[in-house]
Parts: sequence; structure tokens; C-alpha cells
Amino acid sequence: MPAPVFIRWSLLRFSAGFIAFVVSAQDAGVQFYEQSVQKVLRTNCVACHSDKNSSSGLSLQNRESILKGGNRGSSFDAQDLSSSVLLNAVRHHGDLKMPPGRKLKDEEIAVLEKWVSMGVPMPANLASAKTSSSTYWAFQPPRKADLPLVQKKDWIRNPIDSFILARLEKEKLSPSAGADLRTQLRRVHLDLTGLPPTAEETAAFLNDQSPDAYEKVVDRLLASPHYGERWARHWLDIARYADTDGYTIDAPRDIWKYRDWVIQALNRDMPYDQFVIEQLAGDLLPNPTTDQLIATGFHRNTPSNYEGGIDFEQYRVEAVADRVETTGQAFLGLTVGCARCHDHKFDPISQKEFYQLFAFFNNIDEVDKEADRKLFNKPFLVLGTDEEKSTFDVWEKQVYKIEEDIRKREDMVSGDGESDAQLKELREKLNEHRRNRPPLIRTMIMKELPQQRESYIHLGGDFTRKGIPVTPGVLSVLPALQTSSAPNRLDFAKWLVDGKNPLTARVTVNRMWQHFFGQGIVATENDFGTQGEKATHPELLDWLAVEFVEKGWSQKKLHKLIVTSATYRQASDARLDAAAADPGNHLLARQNRLRLDAEILRDSSLTVSGLLSRKTGGASVYPPIPAGANNVTQVKREWALSKGEDRYRRGLYTFFQRSAGHPALLVFDAPEGTVSCTRRVRSNTPLQALISLNDESSFEFAEVLGQKIMSGQESDADRLRLGWRLALSRDPDEKEMDRMMRFIATRRDSGSEEKRIWTSISRVLLNMDEFLTRP
Amino acid sequence: MNNINERLLQYRTRRQLFRDCGVGVGKVALASMLASSASAQKTHFPSRIDRVIYLFMAGGPSQLDLFEYKPELIKRDSQPTPDSYLKGKRFAFMDTFSKDTPKLLGSRRKFARHGKSGLWFSDLLPEMGSVADEWTVLHGVCTENFNHGPAKLFTNTGSVRPGRPSMGSWITYGIGSESKDLPGFVVLQSGPRGPRSGAALWSSGFLPTSQQGVPFRSVGDPILDLSNPHGVDETEQRQTLDVIRDLNRMTQQTTGDAEISTRIDAYEMAYRMQTSGPELIDFAQEDKKTLEMYGAEPGKASYANNCLLARRLVERGVRFVQLYHTDWDHHQDLTKPLEEVTREVDRPTAALLRDLKQRGLLDRTLVIWGGEFGRTPMGEVREKGQVGRNHHIDAYSILMAGGGLQGGSVHGASDEFGFSPAEKKIEVFDVQATVLHMLGLDHTKLTYKFQGRDFRLTDVGGHVLHPLVG
Repeated sequence: MPAPVFIRWSLLRFSAGFIAFVVSAQDAGVQFYEQSVQKVLRTNCVACHSDKNSSSGLSLQNRESILKGGNRGSSFDAQDLSSSVLLNAVRHHGDLKMPPGRKLKDEEIAVLEKWVSMGVPMPANLASAKTSSSTYWAFQPPRKADLPLVQKKDWIRNPIDSFILARLEKEKLSPSAGADLRTQLRRVHLDLTGLPPTAEETAAFLNDQSPDAYEKVVDRLLASPHYGERWARHWLDIARYADTDGYTIDAPRDIWKYRDWVIQALNRDMPYDQFVIEQLAGDLLPNPTTDQLIATGFHRNTPSNYEGGIDFEQYRVEAVADRVETTGQAFLGLTVGCARCHDHKFDPISQKEFYQLFAFFNNIDEVDKEADRKLFNKPFLVLGTDEEKSTFDVWEKQVYKIEEDIRKREDMVSGDGESDAQLKELREKLNEHRRNRPPLIRTMIMKELPQQRESYIHLGGDFTRKGIPVTPGVLSVLPALQTSSAPNRLDFAKWLVDGKNPLTARVTVNRMWQHFFGQGIVATENDFGTQGEKATHPELLDWLAVEFVEKGWSQKKLHKLIVTSATYRQASDARLDAAAADPGNHLLARQNRLRLDAEILRDSSLTVSGLLSRKTGGASVYPPIPAGANNVTQVKREWALSKGEDRYRRGLYTFFQRSAGHPALLVFDAPEGTVSCTRRVRSNTPLQALISLNDESSFEFAEVLGQKIMSGQESDADRLRLGWRLALSRDPDEKEMDRMMRFIATRRDSGSEEKRIWTSISRVLLNMDEFLTRP
Repeated sequence: MNNINERLLQYRTRRQLFRDCGVGVGKVALASMLASSASAQKTHFPSRIDRVIYLFMAGGPSQLDLFEYKPELIKRDSQPTPDSYLKGKRFAFMDTFSKDTPKLLGSRRKFARHGKSGLWFSDLLPEMGSVADEWTVLHGVCTENFNHGPAKLFTNTGSVRPGRPSMGSWITYGIGSESKDLPGFVVLQSGPRGPRSGAALWSSGFLPTSQQGVPFRSVGDPILDLSNPHGVDETEQRQTLDVIRDLNRMTQQTTGDAEISTRIDAYEMAYRMQTSGPELIDFAQEDKKTLEMYGAEPGKASYANNCLLARRLVERGVRFVQLYHTDWDHHQDLTKPLEEVTREVDRPTAALLRDLKQRGLLDRTLVIWGGEFGRTPMGEVREKGQVGRNHHIDAYSILMAGGGLQGGSVHGASDEFGFSPAEKKIEVFDVQATVLHMLGLDHTKLTYKFQGRDFRLTDVGGHVLHPLVG
């Protein structure tokens, strides 16, 4: 086994004298370089190791860059020329074998050996050829182009429509007419608040004859507390939010305060730049408020492991790497994670730069050794009085004690221990004790260590193989980070949103677009790099990005702009002419029909049945779950079924256990909360049908809706109309009416009781494609 | 109008092929969106198996007490482990486990050769030994992480971090499933607790959710929400579904949304599953002899029942059955706890091979038996008077059977004590690549583009074990 490559510090101390030596031997050396060495390097090495393309951080451009070396440190050790990294690599001594997949000829190796033994002489005038920032579109600052000229001017409601229409006209396509009013109302309700309109809201809107009736609805929805809940859920996907640690033990953690923070920030329309700064570095702001500390839970949502026998440092490193990858996806729209093990294959992101970003997030006061096991998941912000804290401490010590007793007993008895009375008693005692948890919140936050942790390149992404040390820094292809001293997380956060960064605003508005239309202007919402999809409307993307920043990073203003556009308000019915020319509807000759997200399905059923609790925020809740669904992992966790209105809270408040998420969420494509998710897939499967047809909760919603329909009206026809209005915001048409009347007759013939018939009809309503879909 | 809808449907199929789908064979499976109803899809090259049953022994079985016979280790029992074997190695429980030089631990079990092939099995596995000539044994297997959760994730998904698709998802994504009324990828569990890392082990990761492993229970509803709601009879359920279908068709007429056809199909398949699911777990059709062979008892949650269930699943065309049995984590004691778990597992495992064979299914079914890692050649003492073994990731063993593999053969080897591979090491990626290869899939071509990168089960590693599969 080769010894790991360590940094050759000696070089730094030695370099001054060394260079003097080289100067004296210069002439012969330079000649040798030009006659023999250059050819070997050019033929075999420079394609991957130049200033333009410095794989593993190594450039063979000039003497200086060679001395500096790459991720493994200097290419050769001036004190011990025989142990040069470069020579060992071409000799295939050790784990690094260069060039990849083949070996140089012996005489070529001899040339390099001689050259190194001469002290790597090279001509002095080989200037650095480092290219300035790439010409790739995504790295150029966005700018507002003039609005394109269009023919069908009367269709246009705002600038968005000019861009969309111009492109459609270019393809000789026409946009669709506006959707009918009740469709528009349902759509904007579901998109802005995640709740369908009530029958009263529908009636009020349809009766409002004023020209700005729709705008009034939009303003009302943007001001609703449910707006923040809906848009928080989109953000929580990115934040890989979950209520447990993940991995093996998967114990509950306190992090819901962070969810509350997101909801409130969105409801207050906190400018997006501040939204980003507080989440990434709220702890580093001067005199941070409690809220600003809670916000830093964003990057503490990473899974964490504390099963027996682990190396804590390994999982701490995983969490830091996750922060870098998530930051790359969420803010920069770059697949930075690709550079964890090696330089990015396609985009200008080196492995070294990955670890420069890593260094920003590597300094949190987290547990990194076995001795601190009991401090697991620190740092916390403890919210409570001193008395509450001490009560909590006593309680927590007792938890540890019972857990320890259980472990001991488990080791003594065999099998699952279900039959062991003592073990059973202990487990019950633990559950009981957990239920009596004193009211103290310990929310996970960021906190810097007083002393910087050293950051290194991890060779091959392996944390045990340390390469050269790195300091915090940003991607060189993007605008430089201007700070007087060593930059920290706060500087980094400010850099992301300083307006000069060409990616942040584009990536953000693109993701919003995706939520309103089902796909982004750039379809690969987390990859704006060279391997991503091209923007369908690049000028629109830029216009929106600039507008977003100009309007003070206001998310509500941008949302209003989008939902009041003619583009958004179009009908979503498929059109043969458009389908032929643009089968994916990328050009938006119509709106798209989108199956509702998992949580919104629940929220919709709760709304129409009237069961919905409109309470905003607070700790996670435990609505009914199919028996056994949360016991698929090592530690059996109690699902303490919520009572009262907490049984009927919105889907985003459902307690999320990483190793066993609620099936009604997971089966409908909610993310597992383990890695950042910037776009949910929308699948359409039999398991979904089983849930919405048969699940205890689904049936309960149908029963309650059935009773509501029955008690609201007398005749079958009136009841059907009420059901349709409640669930679908419209009246049934004639064909639907006929079909339902037949169903009612058949059920009555089978002797079904009335109440049951209306439950069945409600099951039908809550399973209709129209109900499950944002129109 | 009908005509228009049909034509729109065609465009939609095209759209999915061109847009939603990545590369490779997966696109065909995706076009259907119902992984489980997709009929067999094209492979990269002719397959030699159709189905996989992965018997996952969670916790890390002690290969040195089961089927890796090490006379030298037995001879030098209780001697300090030579330094050369420990140098540069990392183990779990570093702080507590390796304070003093750990001592070699020879197995206390009796080993004997079995079958014509003469494979070694200890007295803990008499039944598995009795089908010795069906097994192909892999020694010197290495994995990357010595903690249970991450190591399980690695074996199942090719990554120690949660969030990647598991092998069963990759396979159903690649070639779909032959079953029309059951999911293509089914998960079964037995033992005192669930496997660590839970649902992340059968996650579809970034692949469509329809490729997720579906947990089946051997008692109660086999699938969550499979039964009608309380009090809803068969007729009412069917009539309700008929109305939903008819109303959805009307919506499709007005919107032209092809996704509605998929939804109607999904509801119909759900309905079929409501019949096929209970039928699947109803062991009444099994004769007494079969039940006895497995040691299966109807209505009881057990490994034996799950083995029988696995056979019934592959019989019905299910592509990938992942069965977990906990717990094999014998740090402390290799006597009673190990005897108990082997007693649970030995007979049903052998019965599964016999049963598959007598039904002519074994040739086209691959059975894998193994854990997330093995256990160390040196002993671990946590309580005085007892000795167990720690996690070992550098050389452990996996058994395979069926799929036309040469029974009674051994591949790979570890050194005299079982610390490291003695020959070329076998990596987890190699095993994964080999399983895909047997299914007719090239592991370097079964990829899915996500976050700008073509991901695959075997990441950047994996070599098909050609000595195994020819």
C-alpha cells in the first residue's frame, strides 16, 4: 500500500534558495526543456493539465504553476527529487497512475526524470494563459432586452406575454384563449395557497363584474397566511426538510421552528436576498435576532448518523458536502457536486473549487468525535426559560437511562423481545416518558467554531485522503468575492445575492416559473451548466431575473406578475395543432394540467370536506397512518395520533420520518427529505389509487363531505350540484348528472343506505382526475 | 372528438419518449409509467435470468462461523492478531474495540464438506448444506463502509448516502416487469426489527416513483390500503370505480389530456391488485408438503413465510423480490443468538431453492444470500465470558444460486485468517454489475441523467464477474 501523499511543506520554506539555484543552471536547462521535455508534455499531459483545463488543479503551463502543483500538492519535492508526485505518477509507482490507462515509454520517463533532477527548468516568458470568464450564456449577467414586437397585441396583458407570443408567432402558433373563469380561479388558488376555492369564494368571484376582479383575488391570495404555507413547502423540498435524523437511528429532531420561519418570511414577503442571507449565515449577522438564528436551520437539515461504531467525522464531512451540493443546486443551478471527487467533466468547476466552497461550511461547531456523542446534533438554539431548561435536562438524562436499560435488556433476551415482560415494560416506559417531554425547543442552528477547522481537498472524495489545504473561495468563472479579509459564510451569502452573480436570480425565477407552468424556462432547473437544457425563452428568463432584482427581490411581486399574465391564464385544453408542432408544450400555446402535489391533495380534500384546520405553524402533527407503515426501520417509533384539530392540519405539518415517510406523501411523489429536491416528478400509479380510494383518511374525508352534501340540500339533483360546487367549483353537466343518477338508482336497488350513497359519491368526487389536478 | 383524443395520445407518447426519458433501455419502461404493468422490455443483450430474489441478511452474518472454513484461524485461536493484518485498516467501534490488540477467534462450530462439490458449511446450516451443489460461493467480497445503515445503502443503492435508486428500481426501470397485476419490485421483511435505513433501501431515488419497492406484509393487508374501506363490499367498490372511470373519460374528452388514460389504467390495476394481493398471500393453495418444507405457517410473520411468498411472487412474474431478515449483528455472542437466527433461516432458504427447482423456475431466477458486510476474524469481547465478532468489510462472503450459475463452485478467496482477499477482490459494484449482466443489462449503459450527470447503479466502478457467468 502506498503511503498517502502529504503536503510538502518543506517546499514553501525552501523555494527562495531553490530558485536562485535554478537561475544559475538556466541556459542548459531551458534548452533541454525546449528540445526534449516540451514534446513529452505536449503529447501526453497538457491536454488535461494546462491553465485552460487544469485537471485535479494541476497546470503544466509554466514553472510557477508546476511548482504550485495540483490537489496533491507540489508536483515534486525540491528536497527529494526522487519522490516527485509527477515522476511517481508517470512511473506508475503508487495509486496515481498517469496518463490514465497507459504508460509513457521508458525514454520519455527518462527525459522527465532528468528534467526534474535539473530542477524543472523552463523559459521565464511562458505567461499564464488563464482565460477570463467563459463566454457561456449562464455566466454572463442577465439584461433586459427590448420587448419583442408581436402581431396579436390585444392578447397581451404584461411583458411576459410579449416574449411568449413572439415565439409562438415565430412558430406560426397562436396562444389559447383565457380559461373559463372558474378554472382560472381554481388554478390561481391552488398555485398561490395550495387550497381550492370554497363555494362562497367561487360565487363571489363569478359575481364580481369589475374589470379587476381577478387581480383582487390575486391580492387576496398573496395576503393570505396560506400563501406562505404553500410556498414554504416548495422551499422545504430544496431544504431537504424532515423531522428526523435519517440513516440508522432516525430519531426525531427539533427543526419545525425553521419551517415556521420559512412560512413567516414568505408571508411577510421578505426580500429574497435577505431570505438567502439569513438562512445561510444569519448567525454571522451583527447581533443576530432569534429568528435569524432559527433561519440557519436551512443547512442543518442534512441527515445525521449516530449509530454505534461510527466515525463521527465521516458523517460530519458528508453533511458539509451536502451543503455545498445543495447550495450549488438551489442558488447557482450548477451541479457542483460533480466536482467532489474530480474536476467537473463539463463545467468550469474544479475539485479544488468544490473544497473552497466546502471550506465556507466546514466550520460549524458540530460533533466530530465519539467523545461528544451525547452532544449529537449540536449546535442548538434553546428556546425556553432557565427553569424549563433544567427540567428538560433532567428529563433527557432519564431518556438516556431508559434507552440504556433497553439496550442492555435487548442484549440479554433473544428474538424481538416482544414476549419479554421486562423489555415490554421498559419500552412502554420510554414511550410514556417521551410523551411527557417538557416544553423546551432545541432547534438546530449554525454556529461557527472559534478556531477554524482546516479544509483540504479530499482525494477521490474520500475524507481520509487529504490533499492540499484550501481556504474559502468562490468559483473563478463567476464574479470575484470582494472582501478585505478572509471571507466567511456571510460574505459568501452576500456574494450570492449581490446582483452581480449571473445565476442566482435566473435560477430562482426559473424555479418559480416551473411551479406555475409545470416546467422551467430552463427545463433542467438545477443544471444551468453546459449539460443542461437550453432555455426555451432566454430573453424572458433574463427579463424576469432583472425585474426580480429591480423590484427588490420581492417574490410576491414576481408571482403576481406571472399569475396575471395572459400566458398563465390560458386554457389548458390540448390542441391538435399545437400538439403537432410542440408536443411537449414548451412554447406554452396553452397552460398545462398538473397533478396536485401530495400535500395539496390532502389539503384539498380537507378543504372541500370542511375539516381543514386553518391554524398556521407549530410543531409537526401525526394524522392517521396505515398500521405498520412507520415501522419499516430499525427503531420502532410511536406514532402518537394527533387529536382534535391537529388531526386535520395541512400536509406540510405532517411529521416526516426519513426512513419511513407517511405513505400518503411518498406515494404521491413527496421527496424523502434526504437530499435537496428542486423538482418533484409526477407519477401516476396504482398505489396512489389505493390510497385515495381506500385509505382510512380518504374515506373519512368522503364520509364528512357526504354528510355535508346531504344536510345542505334535499333533492338528489341539488345534492349533486352542491357536491360538484364544493369539490370542483362548478355544476355537473348533463352527462355527468345522468351518470350519477344511474349510480344512485343502482345503489338504492342494492339496498344501500342513503348516508352511504352520499359517501360513495363523495369518494367519486375526491378521486376524479379533475379533483386531483390543477387545471 | 374521439379521433382527436387518439391522435393527442400519440403525440403524448412521442413526447415522453423524447423528453421525459433519459438514455438506454429505460425509456421504453418509462413510457408506460406503470412499472408493474409494463411487459418485458428489450435488454442490451440476451438475458440469462428473468427474476431476482435477494435474501438480505441484515446485520452482517458471520461468514467464518457459517461457510468460510479457516483451519489456520482455528489453530491460532486466542493468539494476538499479527500487526501486519491490522495495519492501515479501519474498524467500527475503533475506540472501544481496538484498544488492546484483538485476539484471533477460531470458529467453535463443526465444519463439514457437503454435496458432490464438497462445499464447506458449518453445523449451523445443515439444510443449506444439503443443497450445496446449487450454491455458488463468493469469498473475499469487499464493501466500503463499516456501519450498518450506510453499508446497507451501499449494497442496495451503490451509495453510502441515502437518496439513490436501489437495484430493484434500476432493474424495473430498465426492463419493466412481467407481472400485470402486481408491482415489479416487492420488499419483504422479517425478524425482530426493520432493516436500518428503512425505506431508503428500496427507494427509487431520482427515478420515477413508480419504480419504488413496494413493501408487502405476510400478514394483514399485504399492501397498504389494499382492502376496501370498512363496510364497502365488492359490488360497491366496483360500481364506484366504474363511475370514476366514466367521469374521467368525460374529462379526457374535454381536456384531451392523455395522462387521464394512465390514471384510468392505474385505477384498474389497483382494483386487480385488490384481488391478486390477497390471493398471493393465501397459502391455502399450497399443499402440506410444501408448507412443511419451508416451515411456513399461514398467518404468521416469518422468514419462512416470506421465502414462500418470494416464490409465489416470482411465479407471478414479479421482477425483483428484496427480502430482509434481521438481525445478524453478533458483536457479543456467537452461540445462542446465532443459533437462533440460523435456525430461522436455514430450512426456508434451502426449501426455496428446492421449490424453485422443482417448478422449473430456478434456471431463470437468481437467488442471492448475503448481508451488508461480514464479521472479523478476531474476537470482540463486550461482556466478560462472551465473545462475538465486529463488522468486517474487507473480506466477507455472499452466496448465489440459480440463473444457470455453476452450482457447487467457489469464486474468490481470503487469506489464511480471512482478513483480506487472497486473490482479486470482489467488490459490491462487481456483484451489482454481474446481476445486471445476467438480466441482459450492461451496467455502464443503464443510466439516468440527473443533476447534469448520467448516474448508474455502479457509479464509476463495477466489473462483471466473468468467471462466474462465463
